[in-house]
Amino acid sequence: MEMILNTIRKIDNDQAKEFAFGDNQSLEEKLAFAFLNPKDYTSLNLTKEKHLKISNSIGSIVVKVIEDENVPEKSILLPVSIWANQITIVENGELHFKNIKVTIEVTNDPISKYSDIIKQIKGD
Amino acid sequence: MKRFTCSGCSLLCDDIIVRSDGLFIDEVIGSCMKGKERFDQVTSKNRITSPMIRRKNDLQKVEWDEAIKETITILKNSSKPLLYGFSNSSCEAQSKGIELAQLINGFIDSNASICQGKVLNLAKELGINLSTITEVINKADLLILWGANPAETIPRLLNKTLFSRGKFRMTGREIKTLIIIDPVKTASFNVMGVRDIALRIKAGKDLELVRALKEECCQNDSIPSEGVAGIDSEDLKRILLHITGTENGVIFLGQGILKSTQDNVLIREILDFIQVINSKQQKGRVSLILMGGHYNMAGFDHIALSSCGKIGGLQFKNKQLVETEDTIVSKLERDDFDCSIIIGTDVISHLPYTLSSKLAKKPLILIDNHRTATADIANIILPTAITGIECEGLAIRLDQVPIHLEKIINPPSNIPSDEDLLNKIIMRLNEGGS
Amino acid sequence: MELYKFLPKTNCKKCGKPTCMAFALDLLQGKVKIDDCPPLLEPKYQKQYASLKELIGSEEGQQKELRINIDSDLCDGCGICVTVCPVNARYCPPSLSGKAPDYPPEKHQLFQVKSGKCELLKIEYCRRIEAEGRERECRVCETYCPREAIKIEYV
Repeated sequence: MEMILNTIRKIDNDQAKEFAFGDNQSLEEKLAFAFLNPKDYTSLNLTKEKHLKISNSIGSIVVKVIEDENVPEKSILLPVSIWANQITIVENGELHFKNIKVTIEVTNDPISKYSDIIKQIKGD
Repeated sequence: MKRFTCSGCSLLCDDIIVRSDGLFIDEVIGSCMKGKERFDQVTSKNRITSPMIRRKNDLQKVEWDEAIKETITILKNSSKPLLYGFSNSSCEAQSKGIELAQLINGFIDSNASICQGKVLNLAKELGINLSTITEVINKADLLILWGANPAETIPRLLNKTLFSRGKFRMTGREIKTLIIIDPVKTASFNVMGVRDIALRIKAGKDLELVRALKEECCQNDSIPSEGVAGIDSEDLKRILLHITGTENGVIFLGQGILKSTQDNVLIREILDFIQVINSKQQKGRVSLILMGGHYNMAGFDHIALSSCGKIGGLQFKNKQLVETEDTIVSKLERDDFDCSIIIGTDVISHLPYTLSSKLAKKPLILIDNHRTATADIANIILPTAITGIECEGLAIRLDQVPIHLEKIINPPSNIPSDEDLLNKIIMRLNEGGS
Repeated sequence: MELYKFLPKTNCKKCGKPTCMAFALDLLQGKVKIDDCPPLLEPKYQKQYASLKELIGSEEGQQKELRINIDSDLCDGCGICVTVCPVNARYCPPSLSGKAPDYPPEKHQLFQVKSGKCELLKIEYCRRIEAEGRERECRVCETYCPREAIKIEYV
């Protein structure tokens, strides 16, 4: 299913705070999730155990999903984090963090781990 | 009691009461949650208190001499170094950064070119004012939040601008009108009153909205009856009435506009629209405030303008400034560097994978005070003191007003300030005879 | 308010209160009973009388206390409640222009932001207790909190 992705900031889910005061576990709990409109949530047959795989031409991540009625339909919101930046776009010297086209699918895979993302960035 | 300035975000609130005995901070009164987290960084669990070097994928603690020696070796062996960050450092440290870049023939840029881009340049070109927060408190009667969500990013902004009672706006909230333009219903929507207007625009359609408003300004009755970009025509006419009838209006531009997929064209159209309004009105004017992130985001552009005469990325060759349109993004896209010094920012977490993966494959020297994703990749980590709490410095607020930050307690032993550390690196490079 | 819509709304003052709204507030706090409003006992207000009895039920006449609850998980220390509270504005000059009030707090100061979270210092000087007339319906702290962390209730 195609959707529009936006990255947002939430004061409770601040990446700098988790790095300074928490650990890898709290990073994943507080930042590896996405907001969806309840109608989209039900039309995808999502449950609390299932996760969402978000992908585009750059890469893909697996996150858990939280319902929020303030999100417009066919739209997905991610907090600003190293997870979200695995699928944001660079084009001709411009960064695009908002209104990105992505494909989503429901999956049983585990949530992308922070240590795996670091390994992938280093290129080991 | 004495009041200090908080360096948690770019609002730089100067009315914070800090109870401390000079050694520890007991209590912080008046600051928001972001400010409290900044003060907590002094004793945070993941604070780095000694220099570290990565050998065989493991970080090892080393003495200062060894860490600086290794830094100098990397810099001397590179011909295209990259310096980036600086929005978490004082203006004095930013000056030293430019001096270092000139010495090693490097390219230097700050977070402002990612967060704000070319808006300042464009605003100067079109002659649009940036107003100050004090002006907004005392004189503004219309506030527009466009793609901005201050309730989650700068908590005290709405308190200071919308709810405060200024000299000419003594009734405060009742006399100020708020217009919010956002596709998502954010927390900022909860401060709206009866006379305020909320526009739930369709995601990505801001360009159509600006163009429709501009056309309606120049020629009446041009708005289609079914509305534009998901907003119906009645609401559009109402906000245009507010904008053209205001005595002093302020538009806050946030990341929703500055980082959308059409940002260059969109920003130019918005600034054009403001210019059209200002030229048509006889009495009032509309001005601009850019939302910020780190506390000294606006500082690097000031220092660069005063020492080199230009805003944005600075490239040095043969110890001279050369012309360039490059920014950190274009440099990384082309892979046009061979080592990097990152100061005060978590660049690996904030840049898209396409760019962060290029940074991670070359030697990276990090200057920061707590663990971040960049610290998990860096080759050398040099810890420094927290400006505004453990050392003093000058910072520039989001509305371009300079504010001096004071020292409240001493830093941990052997931890220098950003300015002193960069100075040491410059002196060692000069001694070594480069 | 929910109770007010079942009252006669004539402001006849037969209960001894200046307006029906004041009677509704006192009814909520348990200071008066439904029977203290003579027009309500007439047959034409029988339905309203029954609805009021159902709403209030057994809690009629019980003294209820004003509580202002601040959820500290939701609060982010923005200080809007400090600036907008009319009692703070009257007695603490820095809060007029959005600045943090002095420390130690002044006798009448209601809200204070400490360690990034808002706290209620003392409730005795709140408008809902001390003032008369329309000022008693003051709810500005609850209305303007962006995170909806303040709740006014009677317990």
